[in-house]
Amino acid sequence: MLKFKKTSSALLTGKEPEVPKGLWIKCDACGELLYKEDVKQNHYVCYKCGKYFRITTKKRLRMVMDKGSYEKWEEGMECKDPLGYPEYQEKTKALQEKLGIDEAVTCGKGTIHGEPAVVCVCDGRFLMGSMGYIVGEKITRAVERATREKLPVIIFTCSGGARMQEGMVSLMQMAKTSAALKRHSNAGLLYISVLTDPTTGGVTASFAMLGDIILAEPGALVGFAGPRVIEQTIRQKLPEGFQRAEFLLEHGLIDNVVEREDLKETLAKLIAMHNQVEPKEALIPNRRKNSARLEERKSKEQVSAWERVQRARDKDRPGALEYIQEIFTDFTELHGDRHFADDGAIAGGIGYLDGCPVTVIGQQKGKTTKENITRNFGMPSPEGYRKALRLMKQAQKFHRPIICFVDTPGAFCGMEAEERGQGEAIARNLFEMSDLTVPVLSIVIGEGGSGGALALAVGNEVWMMENATYTILSPEGFASIMWKDASKAPEAAEQMGVTAQELKELGLIEKIIPEAQPANPKNLAKIAGIMQEEIRRFLHKYLPLDGQQLAQQRYERFRNM
Amino acid sequence: MFQKILIANRGEIAVRIIRACREMGILSVAVYSEADREALHTQLADEAICIGKAPVSESYLNMERILSAAIATKSQAIHPGFGFLSENEHFADMCQSCGIAFIGPSGDIIGKMGNKSQARLTMMEAGVPVVPGTKEPVYEWKQGLEIAEDVGYPVMIKASSGGGGKGMRIARDAGEFENHFRLAQQESLHAFGDDTMYIEKYIEEPRHIEIQVLADKYGKVLWLGERDCSIQRRHQKMLEESPSAAITGELRQRMGQTAVLAAKAAHYENAGTIEFLLDKNKNFYFMEMNTRIQVEHPVTEMVTGIDLVKEQIRIAAGEHLQMNQEDIVLKGHAIECRINAEDPEKNFMPCPGTVKDLHFPGGNGVRIESALYNGYRIPAFYDSMVAKVIVHGENREDAVRKMRSALGEVVVDGITTNLDFQYDILNHPVFLSGNTNTHFISDYFESQESGEINAEI
Repeated sequence: MLKFKKTSSALLTGKEPEVPKGLWIKCDACGELLYKEDVKQNHYVCYKCGKYFRITTKKRLRMVMDKGSYEKWEEGMECKDPLGYPEYQEKTKALQEKLGIDEAVTCGKGTIHGEPAVVCVCDGRFLMGSMGYIVGEKITRAVERATREKLPVIIFTCSGGARMQEGMVSLMQMAKTSAALKRHSNAGLLYISVLTDPTTGGVTASFAMLGDIILAEPGALVGFAGPRVIEQTIRQKLPEGFQRAEFLLEHGLIDNVVEREDLKETLAKLIAMHNQVEPKEALIPNRRKNSARLEERKSKEQVSAWERVQRARDKDRPGALEYIQEIFTDFTELHGDRHFADDGAIAGGIGYLDGCPVTVIGQQKGKTTKENITRNFGMPSPEGYRKALRLMKQAQKFHRPIICFVDTPGAFCGMEAEERGQGEAIARNLFEMSDLTVPVLSIVIGEGGSGGALALAVGNEVWMMENATYTILSPEGFASIMWKDASKAPEAAEQMGVTAQELKELGLIEKIIPEAQPANPKNLAKIAGIMQEEIRRFLHKYLPLDGQQLAQQRYERFRNM
Repeated sequence: MFQKILIANRGEIAVRIIRACREMGILSVAVYSEADREALHTQLADEAICIGKAPVSESYLNMERILSAAIATKSQAIHPGFGFLSENEHFADMCQSCGIAFIGPSGDIIGKMGNKSQARLTMMEAGVPVVPGTKEPVYEWKQGLEIAEDVGYPVMIKASSGGGGKGMRIARDAGEFENHFRLAQQESLHAFGDDTMYIEKYIEEPRHIEIQVLADKYGKVLWLGERDCSIQRRHQKMLEESPSAAITGELRQRMGQTAVLAAKAAHYENAGTIEFLLDKNKNFYFMEMNTRIQVEHPVTEMVTGIDLVKEQIRIAAGEHLQMNQEDIVLKGHAIECRINAEDPEKNFMPCPGTVKDLHFPGGNGVRIESALYNGYRIPAFYDSMVAKVIVHGENREDAVRKMRSALGEVVVDGITTNLDFQYDILNHPVFLSGNTNTHFISDYFESQESGEINAEI
């Protein structure tokens, strides 16, 4: 250390600097001091560590609703105090005055980027956002009115659960709100729940998890039992990130985690996707092209079955998501089976074709090792098939046609897959898909590996790409079972009848989509262009049919095989 | 007057400001990062507070931590130095809202001058000459030609997305305009996928001349002569002097008065610098205004005898400027050489390390601004400038000789520096002739033509 003489200290007489109240806040996650104005600009997210701060009802509405559009409903309900709980009524009154809100939830109607919706916002500052009679009643009335007025419902959840002070009356609110939402759903209307930090207990176990689409804010704690209760029960420390939004996404419980910055945009987009459109007029195929054109485009080359198998497996071959991006606009991916996990081997969501919303589902392989780990080499697990079925059922509810892209070596053969019922999951899809009341089209774009492929291929029509294969078993497997020699796979491929041409001759598929050679990213636009035009024709033909006709047609298609 | 000032900076400028505080009897508070525990500014200040880890984003750029330090130490003012938060309007505003004086202009002025197009507009309205041209995008060569005729040849045709000389062409007359425009546009389209072009006057052999101004809170604005900063490498100044060899009395007056006009137009307060480009025909154009103390401020201090940092503190404390324009008399010639821990042989790569043996020159008219000491380990996280050698002579020739002598005496063992490179500049005949421009380094030192130079004055 260098020893310097310091300045002779003078007494400080001037005005001391001070932080004006409210100018700064401290982040409870990273401990950093934050300039409040900047936090506000950043949608109340810590600009140092990304922590999401809990926000008031007023801020939430300002952030999501169009300015001046929100109209509050059912304010000023009489406080019920069924247990005569000491000081309960005084407490709620004091909170009303202090917070300037009516109760732990605010309900009403407004527009989001012009899209009308019933929007309810829970506020954690009001007795932990707990659900008592008034909360349950306000939500129920808002949902009932939305059902009458044919409006979508959006609920921002934030709650510790049922309100202890009201005892069993509080518990009943769970059933009441859920019942109202069931009727709303039966009327074919959209419900989106947005889970914010924290959502637990009776709210999670009722309206929070019932959304057609469930979104969550990053890092939000969501669970039935609170982490402390779980730790006390099992006497173990919970791992980092347990019950957080990202954990829920990974476990298939929610559709997506959405940044606050993108929330308004996302909600508006999702509502618009569920608006009733008259798709029959939107999808007018190009009449100048007659149906003979597919035959003309078919390449004249002689290709062996084994060569086709190789082409179908080529890693440069476009995958489902590439076709989806090329053919549909505004594709929004939705995640999870709502039970166990989000399977990377199957991707699905909603997109538009000529302004008509379409549910799109595809089996997806990876191009790199890393991608293949998340995609499990395109081999779906039971949760993948269950996600697909969930999305198909949703498509049926909202009268959206379904397009499936099939590309899998087969359903995943693993211990975990068996433990969770791989066979049941495939069977369930065949069973449920058979009588869907919306048009279903399946296109085998690469490998159509046995039952794992069929679980997405119970369509009104099934098509194949020129170089796709659809097999009972891989040629290697066939050769080793029949001839005890896997190296005879090329001969097996010839024997098995796996090519599009052979399957069309057998009447198992309707159409062959020609491929510009080789099928790779460079030729993607050309191939997808033909495919898109054919999909347009398909929809033009099937959309006018009613649900019963569609189910009947599909039934007979397989009945005759 | 303030009794305690926090210095939100490091290195030699922090030391420079602490010294001014000591001289004024003001207590100084240093802030330092974990990498600067042993730094001179940390040790010299009356108090020192650690504000975080070595990366600047977690220390010297962390506004909240610095303000917390100021509040904890009851500092009444913050001197931001240069770089870091010195031209951050947001920080200036935050200081103000906490009742801490920011030693510099208000956040509003920093913002206005920091926005290039707004600053240009403000200056044009005030009648300050700017580089003629257009900020409107041009797509058609005919439209470009009209602008070129307007601003006068030669003109620079510049791609909006341009960089690295791509999409840039100089047209010297109307005859070659179309051809050059098309070529530049095509180049830009190929390289950047953008065919948006701008046309502006091409400044030939430009010199970088800047005028130092001081303005108090009460509208009084003074100019303190110029600094010639034409010796620069890739826009990094290396050697500065005052006065400029290119400026005569009458031009100096005009530039000074224009600078005052500019500062007044910006409602400027505190110390600031107006940067001009001076072309070979002695026309000057406003480039930008720096709203802070500058690295090269000592050359102005040497020729004017005015302590700019002390004046900054007085102005921020609300004092009136005591002197008048006629009191400011430029005396002699001052030169500053920046000593950087970098290797000119390896493309000026920074070379931090430990200072094993250190000797600085002294004597009449030699001034050293540095934060080095024997055994000091230069951290790798920050700027490579480690010292400034400033000399003051009777005239340019005397100052050059003094600088050569002084540089010859500098010993910084343990690290590689640009000392020899600076020495070569001081011996270069073109530099000695005074006929330099901003292309000097690239023309004579980076084109392998420099060779052996042994000139004597």
